[in-house]
Amino acid sequence: MALLKKSSIWIAFLVALLGLPLLFDSILAISILNQMAIGIVFALSYNMLLGQGGMLSFGHAVYFGLGGFLSVHALMLIEYETMVFSILWIPLIGGLFGLLAGIFIGSFSTRKAGTVFAMISLGIGELIAASSLIFSSFFGGEAGISGDRTFGPTFFGFDFAQNIEIYYVAAVWAFIATLFTWLFTQTPAGRMANAVRDNPERAEFIGYSSRKVRFISFCASGMFAGIAGGLFALNYEFITEENLNAATSGRVLLMAYIGGLGYFIGPIIGAVVLTLMNSLLSNYSELWMLYLGIMFLLTVMFLPRGFAGFIMMHQVAWVRGNMKMLIKPYIITGIPALLFTACAIVLIEMSHTDDEVFHYLGLALNPASPITWIVILAIAGGAFYATKRSLIQLNDAWETANAIPKEEEA
Amino acid sequence: MLEVLIFATLNGLVTGFLLFMLASGLTLIFSMMGVLNFAHASFYMLGAYFAYSLSLYFGFWTGLIFAPLIVGALGALVERYGLRKVHASGHVAELVFTFGLAFLIEESIQFFWGRDTKNYQTPDLLDFPLFTLFGQEFSAYRGFMMAISIGIFIALYYVLTKSRVGIIIQAAITHPQTVSNLGHNVPLIFMGVFGVGTALAGLAGVIAGPVLTTFPGMATVLGSIVFVIVIIGGLGSLAGAFIASLLIGLLQSYAIASDVGMPDLLNLLGISFDRSHPLNDLWTMNLPQIAPVLPYLLLVLVLIFRPTGLLGKREE
Amino acid sequence: MAILSLIDVKKSFGITEIIRGVSLDIVEGEKHAIIGPNGAGKSTLFHLISGRYNVSAGSIHFKEQQIENKPPYEIARMGLARSFQVTNIFQRMSVFENIRCALFWSKGYGYSFWHLLGKQTELNDEAMHVLEQIGLADRAKFPSGELAYAELRALELGVAIASGSELIMLDEPVAGMSHSEAQNAVELIRKITEGKTLIMVEHDMNIVFDVADRISVLVYGEIIATDEPKNIRANSKVQEAYLGEVPSA
Repeated sequence: MALLKKSSIWIAFLVALLGLPLLFDSILAISILNQMAIGIVFALSYNMLLGQGGMLSFGHAVYFGLGGFLSVHALMLIEYETMVFSILWIPLIGGLFGLLAGIFIGSFSTRKAGTVFAMISLGIGELIAASSLIFSSFFGGEAGISGDRTFGPTFFGFDFAQNIEIYYVAAVWAFIATLFTWLFTQTPAGRMANAVRDNPERAEFIGYSSRKVRFISFCASGMFAGIAGGLFALNYEFITEENLNAATSGRVLLMAYIGGLGYFIGPIIGAVVLTLMNSLLSNYSELWMLYLGIMFLLTVMFLPRGFAGFIMMHQVAWVRGNMKMLIKPYIITGIPALLFTACAIVLIEMSHTDDEVFHYLGLALNPASPITWIVILAIAGGAFYATKRSLIQLNDAWETANAIPKEEEA
Repeated sequence: MLEVLIFATLNGLVTGFLLFMLASGLTLIFSMMGVLNFAHASFYMLGAYFAYSLSLYFGFWTGLIFAPLIVGALGALVERYGLRKVHASGHVAELVFTFGLAFLIEESIQFFWGRDTKNYQTPDLLDFPLFTLFGQEFSAYRGFMMAISIGIFIALYYVLTKSRVGIIIQAAITHPQTVSNLGHNVPLIFMGVFGVGTALAGLAGVIAGPVLTTFPGMATVLGSIVFVIVIIGGLGSLAGAFIASLLIGLLQSYAIASDVGMPDLLNLLGISFDRSHPLNDLWTMNLPQIAPVLPYLLLVLVLIFRPTGLLGKREE
Repeated sequence: MAILSLIDVKKSFGITEIIRGVSLDIVEGEKHAIIGPNGAGKSTLFHLISGRYNVSAGSIHFKEQQIENKPPYEIARMGLARSFQVTNIFQRMSVFENIRCALFWSKGYGYSFWHLLGKQTELNDEAMHVLEQIGLADRAKFPSGELAYAELRALELGVAIASGSELIMLDEPVAGMSHSEAQNAVELIRKITEGKTLIMVEHDMNIVFDVADRISVLVYGEIIATDEPKNIRANSKVQEAYLGEVPSA
């Protein structure tokens, strides 16, 4: 019974992963789900480094990309029948090479955390990305390399030609990877990673070499990044230099940070949110990267623990049964805040459009007329002022909802 | 051969001094505030774009003066309203903040100026060859770049060693703990250093824009290199940053100008491989090809064997 | 039987010599206090013994093995534990996790990533036992960074003693505590160091004379006297160094 209760969340996660394509079955939805599964594994591996182990990396795409490149090469080997095995095991190849790369690079880069580590990771990332363009017979130069996942033995009649088939493969792998990254946090090595993150010096005085603790997390993280790279290779059947360069490293940092470092579920939230933004927002606006940048900076400034941290902030109020005290204040602040955001977006979009009539939220606006601009600016100003004013009552409500009840104090 | 060497040296020095304008600001900011400003090269890019826009209406020389001032003011604002707030969340958050800022600046530039390369021109006044050597011209503008960079170097040296503010900054670099004991004006000094540092980056952008092309990726091209320089030189060491700037500038310039490669080395050793060899890429590699990789290779080596950098004293 | 011996240990930073040839034998099972004016090098001496600093000259033996210039973790594994003057814990982890981490090595878990902690009943019970000893059992799940000062000091002590090391070094364990808190802390120290060797740096002379079997006086990087408390009190050189700071009672 206790075991059932403990594993219920995992069963729910697995059911959600496997059930989502039944709810969202369009081609676009399946492609988004695939990206999410890859993103979750990649972001979790990154959180192992930064959130759990305190190592800020600017070159995590190296392990993702190397895992991916080796996986595409493995697909080619299957295609030419040099080796015969089911493509189900491709992510394992990616993981193995991610691990090997982690062992090699970690052996010298984990000596220190902090700025030195961050800089080594940046240097190695740039080094490998630049080298990959030189060694074009392996990395395929700018065009990258491609494979075909439909060769090799079929699995109960499936040949994996369809994206949905690959999604189920990715979902199962994502589940396994999530489970193992979580189990890692429940081991002595996982806990010591937290300890070394908090205080590397003291860890040495309770018998642990900080460097070795970091090294273990680093290798594990490289392995899971490699698995994500393998999933990428299976899904897209090609990989390019872009998948191991700084842009990809930056994206995984964004995912983990926006989701919330230090919370296990944070990177999962981050991967889901960013993938959705990437796929959906980019349909509506070519400026979505700008919005992403703004959102990222605001998150760093105002929600240093990310979305997951924001949710966890409400734990106390929830436990004390005070959540209902917060609903009204949230609505009062939320409405003008949303209005302000909407105005800001329309101003940005309008300044960037060549259309004579700009359609937005059912409105038809004339970007050429100064009146449109003045009205929207006025609304934005009003909404900003209202948001700022209403923050006072939100703060008060927050204080009361989190206050220690009288009887507990005594 | 000799003319190649001379021109490679001159171009290396131009790049080196330009890099130092960025590296010096980055080093000052790091020394004072403990923040490695990831967005430093983005301010350099902003400098180029502001100067480009100003030059369209008022000419190059107005841009040269005002663009760095605007960039510096922006930098000071970023410190005051962004970085200072994030400071409470620790160094990782600060580094991540500047990383996000770099991202945002690049996106904003594309928003305001578009994705295409800007036709930012050298001024007519400097559009003549400064001298001709072995039939090759060295443009006056490159001379001007070098003059400005050296001028800034001397000014910086003078301010840091002779002025009162400079002495406070010097003290803060060598004894970071004492900064907090200096009194109530420390936040102002931080803001000032950040502003001046970013203004220097902006100035570098103004003078580099016409030569290195003004496009939204120009920060990425130079950004990592400047990071490499401050680390190779030793975090917090201005002298180290100076040496490393020239070193990297010259190294890249020589590597690009040279036409030697692995085939020459193999010939020398009397080894040959046929084209189907699996490591063919390695055996045919030449120096200009790997020039972009050299700084990073140097960085990784330095960090492994001398984590404090050439002249650095502090590890963290 | 000396469990720890220092032979002519020296330490300089640049041209400044902080420890100027210290030789000292700590007898197994004794409670040894190191006292001395500020800047005498007491903390530096602790750092040298526990491996945080390398010695400039001389040698240190723990249980008959040379330990000078070994990394801290190797020394800790041999059974030498220490606390810090400024609280030095794993601030984002819970109180319980702090203690449990301190137990890992001595319980033989090493760098294991195949033991699930939830299943390690013996380890978890032991961690709870330590928490009860230091009086923090009801704070087990509390984030350690948010503890009150006296509780933090108790946790600092707990992290040092959890592994059951034979030699425990405490750097100003009661600094900054109120009188009653200090009294409690002394009781705690007495209880948890029973049957073990203790070296302690402390400024509160009442506590030093209360707890210590022997006292060493460190002045300007040199030990000017090592003796039983009553002889230290009578020692004129100590009197001089302390200018009457030694309580006469």
